[in-house]
Amino acid sequence: MNGENNDDNKPVLLWLTAAAFAAALYAIFFYVPTERTEGVVQRIMYFHIPSAWIAFFAFFIVFLCSILFLWKKEREWDIYAMASAEIGVLFCSLVLVTGPIWAKPIWGTWWVWDARLTSTLILWLIYVAYLMLRIHTDPGSMRARYAAVVGIVGFLDIPIIHFSVLWWRTFHPQPKMISAQGLGAGMAPSMVGALLISLTAFTLLYFLLMGQRINIEKLKDEIDRLKKENLYSH
Amino acid sequence: MDNLGFLFAANVFVWGAIFFYVFRLGRSANTLKKDLEALKESLHKSANK
Repeated sequence: MNGENNDDNKPVLLWLTAAAFAAALYAIFFYVPTERTEGVVQRIMYFHIPSAWIAFFAFFIVFLCSILFLWKKEREWDIYAMASAEIGVLFCSLVLVTGPIWAKPIWGTWWVWDARLTSTLILWLIYVAYLMLRIHTDPGSMRARYAAVVGIVGFLDIPIIHFSVLWWRTFHPQPKMISAQGLGAGMAPSMVGALLISLTAFTLLYFLLMGQRINIEKLKDEIDRLKKENLYSH
Repeated sequence: MDNLGFLFAANVFVWGAIFFYVFRLGRSANTLKKDLEALKESLHKSANK
């Protein structure tokens, strides 16, 4: 994830992401049929599930980069973990808002304290705490180390979220996309197709945002380095 | 079942949040690039004195 390579690849990634979102929006609003029991509001699924996928993927990257940081002590891994955590919190927020908007007309309530919803809220709180820890502690290796530990421990909530609908009785439905019957077995093929396009678009957006966020952190490091050099040279 | 308002609200929130974040990233990057250039220029001037 070299800074210069990021800049070179950005227009290609930007156009790919834009094209994927155009295709996703066409599929969501014009291609897929309206679901029989839930009606038009079921189309929220095409934003809700990809947001959840990106949040989980982003927190997995935090987990991986945090381990690599603790092992190798290289600032690079800390930057990747921080950038991914910020994007993960953004998409986890989208999950926590689109979920209740979808739930209200279907369940008759905005929120229930069931295992899936509660464990997702806990995940969001853990990574918000991760970002607050970074904001409110002095920059340096100790901040990066504490953050890495929170980033690793926080990830343990994700298997609980995934299996919560199987382990406990919940309001939240069981997974339809990935189930024991096979990939997308519980859905119409057109719905699976639209969901896959939407998942691709959101994944491309994640990499685009990561590149931009990493660039910002590298610019900050460069400014700090020059300021320090200037300070010591006088 | 007409729940178009809910679908609209979800879309407004998703796109609003994404565009706000992209805008914030763009603004931060521009500010930092300007700061870096100014810093480099001032260092260059002080080195030439």
